[in-house]
Amino acid sequence: MSPKPILQAKNIIKKYRMGTQVVSVLNSINLDVYPGEVVSLLGKSGCGKTTFLNIAAGLERPTKGEIIIDGHLLNKISESKMSVFRRKYIGFVFQLYNLIPSMNALENAILPLVFEGIPAREREQKGRELLKTMGLGDRLGHKPSEMSGGQRQRISLARAIINNPRIIFADEPTGNLDSRTTKEILDLLISTLRKNGQTLLMVTHDQEVARHGDRIIEMADGKIIGEKVM
Amino acid sequence: MRKKDLFLMANQNLWRRKARTILTCLGVIIGTASIVVMISLGIGLRISMEQSMAQWGSLNIINVHPGMQWDESGNPTGEEKRMTDETVAELAAIPGVTAVSPQYNIDGEAKLGRKEGYLNIVGLDPAVMGELEFSVEHGRLLAPEDRFAIIAGSQVINNFWDERAARRGGMMMDGPQQQDPAELLDQRIQLTIRNQAGNERKQNFFVVGILDEKNMDRSWQVYASIHDVKRLRDFMMKGANNTGQMGPMAKEVMYSGSGMMVASTVKDSPSRGSRKDDRSNDYDSIMVRAKDVAQTKEVSQELRDRGFNAWSMADSLKDIENVSRTMQAILGGIGGITLFVAALGITNTMVMSIYERTREIGIMKVIGASFADVRSIFLTEAALIGLFGGIIGLGFSYGASQVVNKIGADYIQQGMMMGGPAANISVIPAWLAAFAVVFSIFIGLAAGLYPASRAIKVSPIVAIRNE
Repeated sequence: MSPKPILQAKNIIKKYRMGTQVVSVLNSINLDVYPGEVVSLLGKSGCGKTTFLNIAAGLERPTKGEIIIDGHLLNKISESKMSVFRRKYIGFVFQLYNLIPSMNALENAILPLVFEGIPAREREQKGRELLKTMGLGDRLGHKPSEMSGGQRQRISLARAIINNPRIIFADEPTGNLDSRTTKEILDLLISTLRKNGQTLLMVTHDQEVARHGDRIIEMADGKIIGEKVM
Repeated sequence: MRKKDLFLMANQNLWRRKARTILTCLGVIIGTASIVVMISLGIGLRISMEQSMAQWGSLNIINVHPGMQWDESGNPTGEEKRMTDETVAELAAIPGVTAVSPQYNIDGEAKLGRKEGYLNIVGLDPAVMGELEFSVEHGRLLAPEDRFAIIAGSQVINNFWDERAARRGGMMMDGPQQQDPAELLDQRIQLTIRNQAGNERKQNFFVVGILDEKNMDRSWQVYASIHDVKRLRDFMMKGANNTGQMGPMAKEVMYSGSGMMVASTVKDSPSRGSRKDDRSNDYDSIMVRAKDVAQTKEVSQELRDRGFNAWSMADSLKDIENVSRTMQAILGGIGGITLFVAALGITNTMVMSIYERTREIGIMKVIGASFADVRSIFLTEAALIGLFGGIIGLGFSYGASQVVNKIGADYIQQGMMMGGPAANISVIPAWLAAFAVVFSIFIGLAAGLYPASRAIKVSPIVAIRNE
């Protein structure tokens, strides 16, 4: 294991104000994730795992604590610069795919490259090749609504890794898929990451899914309650 | 994000909701079209006025008359100015004045061969006629050494008619017949004048030139050297001197082109010959040429400030410019309100679009769209609505402009006997077309500012929540 973690979460605390009450969602979370690792964050619904993922990805700010990705302290990155940071370092996979319905498979997969300013020919070639390796070579022109859940999640995977981010965050990536497709998607995701030496932090409530990781971090009530190396 | 991608994406987004985009564009189309058509009417009005005025007479000539200026309630506004050689010198010294000529007018019965008619003779300084914008179509201008030579306006020939021929021809000809102005050239015209004592004098004039048809205000007169005219005028005044009475010419009312009645009191000086203010030799008027239209307006104003009775075509031009500017402002304002409403339409559409696309905006932000990207996308969409609306609106404007001109031309041709192509009522110059498109883009951008700032504020977390 490489000595320098790619993701460091130091004493993360998150509190929400609900009316007059203050709800504590995350209670002093400390976590290091090392390059090339696949880490599963396992916990029941409402335990705060998605909140932690959002904070780790810079989508939300912690009430207290620090997040460091690849040596960059996220707390110091302004809201307007955060998008650019995410574009460079972070890939995302969601439970509900979050594809843009008006765009076809190829357009969705290469959208990060559009914001990166890559010329059309170059990015389309890259997108075509990537989607082909994911078994979508013949569905490039289809809209998400014309595709199955598994196919949609593949597009979403392609979109997450197309600009070679150092770390990928996945929030219940198989939450909407049947068990066979779940296995397919996870195998595809993890094998692709391994090939490129990328890191994955995956949130799930499913033990089976969590078992795909190198390490399982168990969460409950905003705290880490256990860790298991596979 | 590349400009090309930005435009493609914005364009794609717009056409996802065709009906809404078209309706929003329609607002801009109507707004742009109304602004352009309204302004084009103002421009067309001014151009057609300028054209017809240039036909009526030169815009650089100022006619200075004696007599008092009157204010609106009919009271004289200051001392009466006299028209003497000193006046001529004074006027010549005004900056912007390039030529000055004193002027005498006489008229009388005249004969051209067998034809009879009458002549209005204007005596001018032959040396400056060229500078006073006289130009001949046939023959030549007057030379200083010419004696009793005249150049005739293009319509002067129509002052003469052959009585006997007309009688022979019976009732065949009704109304005056148009004759070729060139027929007058090198002809001898005999003028008959009488003085107050009843003496008669006949004087032959030789036509050396015919004026071109450019200036309609000069077409019914003949022009001679002021010295010749002065001699004839002296003869006519003689009787008046002898009798000491005011003759029929003593009180002459001239109708000047500006529509002002000017009482010319040159010749009714009661104490003729007895005192220093003998006015019998005063000029009837003075013709002043200014360098250009702008100078004409200034000189004209200067003359009035000095108490002269000055009038020029350019003065009316100023009024027309004011009217057309006011019209443009009013009409443009109406169009402007329409476009403002259209801008609200764009804002409304864009805000609705943001509500619909909240999730999409959130996703884009999560996968790396910067604030600038999001802002640019929405601003570009709004600007594109402006651009489409502007271009189509401009197209409609050209159509509407042609329709207006077609209808207008029919009316004008019915109402005017004068030939020549009817001026366009609505004119869209290139600058107006460019302005319309640029302005509508600008309107789109301005309308997109608020929605774009809202789009930036969309929280990616809220947008991608799994609900």
